[in-house]
Amino acid sequence: MREVVVLGIGQTTFGKTPEYTAIQLGVKAAKAAIKDAGIDPRELQVCYGSRVYDATQTIEDIMKNLGVTEREMHNCENACASGGTAFNLLYKDIANGVYDIGIVVGCESMTTCSKAGQLVGAAPGDLNGTMGITMPANHALTAHRMMATRGITLEDIAYPSVKNHRHGILNPYAQYRKVLTTEQVLNARMISDPITTLMCCPVSDGAAAAILCTKEYARKHTTRFIKVAASKVLTASYLPWDLDTVTRPTLTKLAYMAYEAAGIGPEGLDLIELHDAFSPEELYTYEALGLCKVGECLSFIRSGNAEIGGKHPVNPSGGLLSLGHPLGASGVRVVCEVTQHLRGEAGERQVQGAKTGMAEMVGGYLTGLGSPAVGSITILSA
Amino acid sequence: MGKQVLFWPELFKETDKGLVLVANKCKKCGAVSFPKNELCVFCLGEEMEEVELSRKGILYSYTITRVPVDKWTAPHAIGQISIPENQLRIVAPLIMEDENDTFNIGDELEMEIAKYWDDGDNEVMGYKYRPVKKKGGK
Repeated sequence: MREVVVLGIGQTTFGKTPEYTAIQLGVKAAKAAIKDAGIDPRELQVCYGSRVYDATQTIEDIMKNLGVTEREMHNCENACASGGTAFNLLYKDIANGVYDIGIVVGCESMTTCSKAGQLVGAAPGDLNGTMGITMPANHALTAHRMMATRGITLEDIAYPSVKNHRHGILNPYAQYRKVLTTEQVLNARMISDPITTLMCCPVSDGAAAAILCTKEYARKHTTRFIKVAASKVLTASYLPWDLDTVTRPTLTKLAYMAYEAAGIGPEGLDLIELHDAFSPEELYTYEALGLCKVGECLSFIRSGNAEIGGKHPVNPSGGLLSLGHPLGASGVRVVCEVTQHLRGEAGERQVQGAKTGMAEMVGGYLTGLGSPAVGSITILSA
Repeated sequence: MGKQVLFWPELFKETDKGLVLVANKCKKCGAVSFPKNELCVFCLGEEMEEVELSRKGILYSYTITRVPVDKWTAPHAIGQISIPENQLRIVAPLIMEDENDTFNIGDELEMEIAKYWDDGDNEVMGYKYRPVKKKGGK
């Protein structure tokens, strides 16, 4: 395997922008990444796109606007983990010597797609999905288990949303840049008990892009290398009927596959960008990733570990809760965010001295499989 | 007046006790598949036998969705229901007495056939679970 580095990143501001198509957003992000990399776009040898809804020829359509044609190009759908999965495909192409440089672009217009205005659900025709399991309902079921088995209160469940909005104030790319109090989060309109609307990521449009290349290729353009220390994707397994659903066995397995490949354990992570589509999800993800022991997420948050300035800052960007979650874009966006911190270019939200970071994105729901149905994890190091 | 039709008819079986849910049990490893699968996804065994699911369940977790979802009107309660007798956990709608009704993890439940939604003139019926009220309890 060859060493792979992040040469360029770019993203749009996330928010409700129905005046732009998903493709137009993707073009903006790709242009920004090409400019950041300082390359001629025609140097790109392979291109990956990521989009979930109404997708057809996404990457071809984006790249034709940038002078890049007649290349190997692929589009990837893997629910909320689509962007992370597309990143992984590009990473492997370069690591395995198939190509030396390529781009991944994730984009989505949630305000104009065919699912606009609906709660994101399971796969069409899925048994439990047909009975009304949506993504918020799925996480609400786990939230009630956390409250029953770990002494977690509603205030604790609101915490990731309050914290991430506090971080989001500092991020010019975020959709919502305002303080939320615990009371505001708890008193907001109920969506799926105990999840209120302010515990859900908002509807958002946006795009993000990353250019990866070999270290040798990067030397022509930069002396500053942000290395991809690991990139892994894993789908869920069948569930034992009596599993404690607060635990996330596949996510834990995926995380440890990435730690092993990177030679960096959870204790070595300076920041983590993770899938906080619903506030309680962040709490059990701390445990699943090994940021704290199983059952100890409460002491983890009460020690301030997840805050900027804490031991393991989680979602310094403001997370999906502040930015919103254009499904195909988020998995690439978290890589861009971690890269900014490792370069020391994250502005007011900068995690000081960050040398390593994780970009995690999970998604999907299928009857009979563990939740999430798929996950992607990238570990970057400066 | 329309007729009553079953949601996913292959999930049900008519018995002298009324409609019950059915699953497949692997003859080799004993794992239960619901909905039925021709292949045992746990051991790849191909010999399956049909088993009837107990009507009794225990509420593992629940949520009440307060906005309409697809064909469901709000509020719409769903639960994860453990069926220890069949070593299975399924997801199903829960029956609410009224809009203020709530549930408790560990509640004993019983399955009944109830209306899911209207489809033209027809009523689509499916399985729902109702808490068993304990004597002297709430």
